[in-house]
Amino acid sequence: MSDTATPSAPNVLVASMAERKTARRERWHLLRKRPGFIIGVFICGFWTVCAVLGDRITPYDPFTDRDGLSCGRAPCPPSSAHWFGTDKIGRDILSRVMMGARDLLMVAPVAAVLSVIFGTILGMVMGYYRGLVDNVLSRIVEAFLALPVVMVGLFILTLSKDSAVLDAISFGSRNVIIIYVVALLFTPIVARTVRSTVLGERDLDYVVSARLRGESSLFIMTREILPNITAPIIVELTVRIGYSIFTVATLSLLGVGLQRPSPDWGLAIAEGRDLLPADQWWPVTFPALAIATLVVGVNLIADSIQAVYER
Amino acid sequence: MWRYVVKRVLFSLVTLWLLATIVFLMTWFLPSDSARLILGAQAPEASVAEFRIRNGLNDSFLTQYFRLMKGLITFDFGQSWKYPQYEVWEYLRTPLAKTAKIAVLALIITTPISIGAGLIAAKFRDRKTDRAIVLFGLAASSIPEFVTCALLMVGLGLKLGWLEPVYSTEAEKLSLFGQLRFLLIPALALALAYFGYIARMMRAGTIQALDSDYVRTASMKGLSGSQVMRSHVLRNAIAPTITVMSVQVGYLISGILGVEYIYNYPGFSRVLLDAATDGDLPVLQVAVLISALIYMVATLFADLFIAWLNPRARLELGSS
Repeated sequence: MSDTATPSAPNVLVASMAERKTARRERWHLLRKRPGFIIGVFICGFWTVCAVLGDRITPYDPFTDRDGLSCGRAPCPPSSAHWFGTDKIGRDILSRVMMGARDLLMVAPVAAVLSVIFGTILGMVMGYYRGLVDNVLSRIVEAFLALPVVMVGLFILTLSKDSAVLDAISFGSRNVIIIYVVALLFTPIVARTVRSTVLGERDLDYVVSARLRGESSLFIMTREILPNITAPIIVELTVRIGYSIFTVATLSLLGVGLQRPSPDWGLAIAEGRDLLPADQWWPVTFPALAIATLVVGVNLIADSIQAVYER
Repeated sequence: MWRYVVKRVLFSLVTLWLLATIVFLMTWFLPSDSARLILGAQAPEASVAEFRIRNGLNDSFLTQYFRLMKGLITFDFGQSWKYPQYEVWEYLRTPLAKTAKIAVLALIITTPISIGAGLIAAKFRDRKTDRAIVLFGLAASSIPEFVTCALLMVGLGLKLGWLEPVYSTEAEKLSLFGQLRFLLIPALALALAYFGYIARMMRAGTIQALDSDYVRTASMKGLSGSQVMRSHVLRNAIAPTITVMSVQVGYLISGILGVEYIYNYPGFSRVLLDAATDGDLPVLQVAVLISALIYMVATLFADLFIAWLNPRARLELGSS
């Protein structure tokens, strides 16, 4: 296909690439000046460090240390030895909260990325071809949009407990199944956004001229349209990561997401809930604050990126 | 206008049919042994086989599919598998009403406050009040409802002692007013999340309206500030808010599930969880379809309400 391009095409390409580069640098400059973005990066950075280093930086072993009985009987309230107290079998809550970032930060962003990849492909096909393909797919997408994500996640995750097929494609890991489910449920949402963006692009001059040049549909979609719709896709990705964390945390709370002995925050909140009537507030409060800070951090970043890109 | 309504309803029916098909396919392909789950691991093989025959689990793909479709049309989904003494709908009705109670309470609390906050933020755009409302809204809507609920349970329930930290069946003996002590924490958790959505959308809609030509014209022709606000700004600013709210219904239902669970509230989430762990497929299918139906009704009403508010939208809808 490149041999049919006019001689001046490379120059145009270079010019537009340089333009894109300046635009990118400009946006980055604007982003760095937003306090919300800085705070968000700081918060997410903190939890990422916790997730990556895990038990190498926690004060106690999050799984096996069960000697947190400084008060005689677990759970112990916060003290100088255990800043966040210990849980009902004497494990240090600070260590578990730090470690709890790991599974969530592995599962949720991967699910979001997958949904954005599939959603982009689907949305481009729908928006570019229009017609019957678009009509049929749009109805299916709409149907999916009506399904509450957590409810369907619950539905699939409980019923798929012993599926040989799922076990095979998920390498026997529960976390991978969660990634698939969340990605599947988010894909239609992304597809709808991408579709409407492509609809706005497909009749612009550059697409029309590419079509006149005789480029293949695949080339036009991936090399012409895609570079021009990266902004809404990036915005969608950051927003999706936020929702993905929400979904995974809720599924874990309900007992169908991440499983014990993962120190996941949603799980920890569910376990600590039963201790509340006995005035033992710390097993719930600290994991809850952890989720709250992480999602606020992610949303601060998402919000700043949205503001800069949609300026 | 009527043509539009009819068209919308017909489209919704197609969506509903597709949904039922998706839900059916999911149950068909997921390998859960409902008979075993419901009767227990100890049950003799004979009664498990009898259960399968009685509930049509051995029927072919198409027979089972058409049974669900027939149920959808006649609105008769048969009995719960786990509790055969109940019709599915009967079984779901009470918990659904309980869930509606906290959802409605949350909306009563949040709607006036968040619309007001959105208007105030727009009026003081880019000043401290605005920044505070926007930031608070962002936090309120991004923190999962169950997390807010957990923190409220600790704060308002345990530390301050104003409300009940966890639900107990004691509440059922009380009058509706007396129950408030048991309903306010989950309702507040939901209200906070709704606040984030409504206030931020309301702010954006108001700013757009305030910048528009028709508002400038209205104030130049001598209408007072409050008159312009009421009959020009509010009317236009509320439309995007309503659209966003209706599209977010799915997330709001997801949020309610978490809140009910953490507060130990015997609503929709409990039946849903029980039905999922038991493999009580009729209950599960209908529960998912009901929540999808709520979403579709909400988006339909939102569109109609916007058309009623705004003659221009009515025209666009009529022509499309």
